[in-house]
Amino acid sequence: MSLIDLSRWQFALTVCFHMTFPAITVGMSVFLCVIYAMYWRTKKPVYLQMFRFWRRIFAVGFALGVVAGEVITFQMGLNWGIFGAKTGPIIGPIIGMEVVTAFFVEAGFIGILLYGDGRVRHLTMFVSTVMVSIGTILSTTWILAANSWMQTPQGYTVQNGQYVPTDWVAAIFTPAFAWRYPHMLLAVLISGAIFIAGISAYYLVKNRSKGFARRSLSIALGVAALLVPVQLLVGDGLAGNVDVAYQPSKLEAIEGNWQNGNTGWVIFAIPDQAAAKNLVQISVPWLGSAIAKDPTGKTATPGLDNTPVNDRPDMAATFWGFRAMFFASLFLFATAFMSVVLRLRGKLWESRRFHKYVLWTTPIGIVAILGGWVTSEAGRQPWVVFGLLRTSAAVSKLAPGTVLFSVIGFSLIYLILLVAYIVYIVHTVKIGPERDDPRVTADLTPGATVESESAAPVELTPEVAR
Amino acid sequence: MTIIWFLVILFCLIMYIVFDGYDLGIGVGTLFERVPERKRHMIELVATGWDGNETWLILLAVGLWGGFPLAFGVILPHLYLPLIIALFALIVRGGSIELISQTENPPQILTWAFGIASLVAAFAQGFALGELTSTAHVVDGVYTGSEGGFPWYPIVLGVTVAFGYTALGYAYLKLKSEGELRVSAARRGGVVAVVTVVLGAVSLISIAGTAAPLNLATPGRALTFWGLIVFALVGAVTAAVNFRRRTDSHPTADLLPFAGLVVTTVATLLAFTVSHYPLLVPPSLTVNSAVGPYNTMVFLLVGIGLNIPLIIFYHWFAHRTFGGKFRVHETPQARTSILTGASNER
Ligand code: HDD
Ligand code: HEM
Ligand code: HEM
Repeated sequence: MSLIDLSRWQFALTVCFHMTFPAITVGMSVFLCVIYAMYWRTKKPVYLQMFRFWRRIFAVGFALGVVAGEVITFQMGLNWGIFGAKTGPIIGPIIGMEVVTAFFVEAGFIGILLYGDGRVRHLTMFVSTVMVSIGTILSTTWILAANSWMQTPQGYTVQNGQYVPTDWVAAIFTPAFAWRYPHMLLAVLISGAIFIAGISAYYLVKNRSKGFARRSLSIALGVAALLVPVQLLVGDGLAGNVDVAYQPSKLEAIEGNWQNGNTGWVIFAIPDQAAAKNLVQISVPWLGSAIAKDPTGKTATPGLDNTPVNDRPDMAATFWGFRAMFFASLFLFATAFMSVVLRLRGKLWESRRFHKYVLWTTPIGIVAILGGWVTSEAGRQPWVVFGLLRTSAAVSKLAPGTVLFSVIGFSLIYLILLVAYIVYIVHTVKIGPERDDPRVTADLTPGATVESESAAPVELTPEVAR
Repeated sequence: MTIIWFLVILFCLIMYIVFDGYDLGIGVGTLFERVPERKRHMIELVATGWDGNETWLILLAVGLWGGFPLAFGVILPHLYLPLIIALFALIVRGGSIELISQTENPPQILTWAFGIASLVAAFAQGFALGELTSTAHVVDGVYTGSEGGFPWYPIVLGVTVAFGYTALGYAYLKLKSEGELRVSAARRGGVVAVVTVVLGAVSLISIAGTAAPLNLATPGRALTFWGLIVFALVGAVTAAVNFRRRTDSHPTADLLPFAGLVVTTVATLLAFTVSHYPLLVPPSLTVNSAVGPYNTMVFLLVGIGLNIPLIIFYHWFAHRTFGGKFRVHETPQARTSILTGASNER
């Protein structure tokens, strides 16, 4: 493997590892903030129980997100030093704004959110949860601005080989940003909600802590039902307004055709990049044209042959990244749809089959998000900054041996941490929310009075009662 | 503008070294602590603040990236290995610390991982700083390789920094803990502080043999440099003396070790800066040759510069909320297990 391939693998592994955690924590931080507000207002113990339990899941994900994020920041210089030097004048300040407006906010208040219970007042706790969620959302905003500039660069001139900003507003609000930011924000909220719903469904399947689980499931699926349909529209707009207009090569790779002329939509393909054809291909007639908003079935999707060989992205990665996002969207839509139907029929808390399905699809939002990122990043290749800077010209001149060492090291560490994280989640979920019940562990916040006689249905499970 | 931004970056470096220094140092301390409760206490203390402390490192990196893009693109590949190893260690540390503090009976291996990763991170950071004194080849603003040779100076500096962080860690512990933990922190901290001073002197002398010897050509530089070194010494002596003292006879005895060491750290870093400015990496990468374009600097100074007071406030607020002596039995996790006993363990 060459230096460039090693650096690409290292970067792809690191960002995907990082992305997994925001996919859980952004949505969850908003959820925690809502739950705490409900507890503070109603003083119902079940809300404190929910807050404490979900916080356990949140805490470890957040920590892993932080450390993996630090690695990316350094990698922009370590492995992509030329990229760093050339784009620094534009991307550096944007990510700098992220650091001062988002990371410091998160970092300043996360300690209180996690360890302040019993030490600070309710108001301080609540403000901290709000600040942390604001931080995570601002962070999403700035990072999307930075990455969108790399997709559709504008507001710059070139001086001594560096991209120098001429118009900051144009550089931050790029055409790609306008669509990708809402798409990403919805994506993290959806994947967080689905994650919460999946774990709640486990308790319903197991008949444990029902009061806790019903409320969590109901809120999470409510959010998903609202956001998933919007997301499908935004995704469609993104493809139409950004990829068609600015990055035709990405779109061609997404669609999976080499020649022009296919009016169908390819659902399965094994592309052969060198021979510029698909070894295997299954396509659904008419659908491709329909997606291009021509129900007569005559509009064909353009093929990758339109793009010169040297400017083609890898079709397999782009195609399958998109398919992962797309097929995951179908599951998400099914969840959202069924939840509405069941809710209207008053069966949301009873249907065991549905709960099992939700439990099995716990990580589906994360799959969609990783697939989406692979689409947009692999589809941007061979450019790092689309149309301006080739990835191969951006890589640091390091000894391949050192990079190989670091790739192996990172892979091992990520693997171990991912396993540790999953083991931790499974373990915490099995112990369950019972230990977080305020009737078992009182709220020691200064000045707190928990209405332990309130009607809130917090059943103890057989295990705890025993 | 170049100088202002350079000072901002220097400020981030100082904040990072002082704050993450103490928390890495406490991590190193856990390796030598045999009593499990005390170990846990130390880890919980770090858990409340490490994230904020590490954010200074991110601002340092990003500030360099935006303000001195060429330096960012050269220095990072130049320091590749030590930085990668420091990152490995920071990842392991961040993961293990939160896993430990969120579980009631964390497996031993996590506590070890936490301690060892802290030590490795401290050493690797010192090593990286030391590598800054070796030659990086730059052609047309692009890094093309480093000068080889046995890196004895980075090793010396790595060890010095590891000791220095540990001294900071013990000083912080003395400030924030009570009872036996405080006594043992005071005893060990004193010894570590003295060793650090000796190692510091060794690094100071041996820097002459590197590609970036001290530049004290003008009297102004020399005077500032030696003045700062005197400051550093005073700080270190104050710290060493007060590690030993008890609060009943000297009310400030818990604060002064930490304060003294902070003075030492700041003065030493400033001294090294004064003796090298404007050189960033030998032979020729300087602040002025690496500075970013005008529009970028304005954006940085306005956007980020104005936010700095705010982030200092957050940082202060976070530390203040956990102000005073830190008592571990107050944490929700520990309390849960006391009140519920084994019943919830199923
Ligand atoms: C959804 C939005 C999102 C995306 C696309 C990214 N991140 Fe991220 N990042 C977050 C959302 C986030 C967050 C929610 O703000 C995190 C995750 C968990 C956390 O602790 O904060 C975070 C943490 C985080 C941290 C640690 C912050 C701290 O100390 O609090 C750094 C340095 C980065 N990220 C850097 C990056 C870089 C360089 C990215 C580009 C490749 C990136 N992130 C993509
Ligand atoms: C400001 C934000 C980002 C920047 C500056 C950035 C920059 C880069 C760079 C320099 C590469 C190297 C080119 C290559 O490997 O081919 C890359 C590739 C990649 N990035 Fe990003 N990226 C950003 C955000 C993300 C995020 C959040 C993800 C989410 C997971 C992501 C996923 C990927 C993947 C999967 C690749 C590998 C593509 C390939 O190798 O074909 N990127 N990106
Ligand atoms: C069928 C509906 C969807 C369509 C048509 C769609 C379309 C797209 C397209 C075209 C891109 C590439 C953007 C570019 O770089 O130019 C993209 C990226 C992405 N998608 Fe989707 N998407 C859909 C559903 C979803 C869902 C449900 C999620 C997650 C819950 C999701 C998450 C993402 C993410 C995280 C990215 C990468 C970030 C970005 O480029 O902004 N998508 N999507």
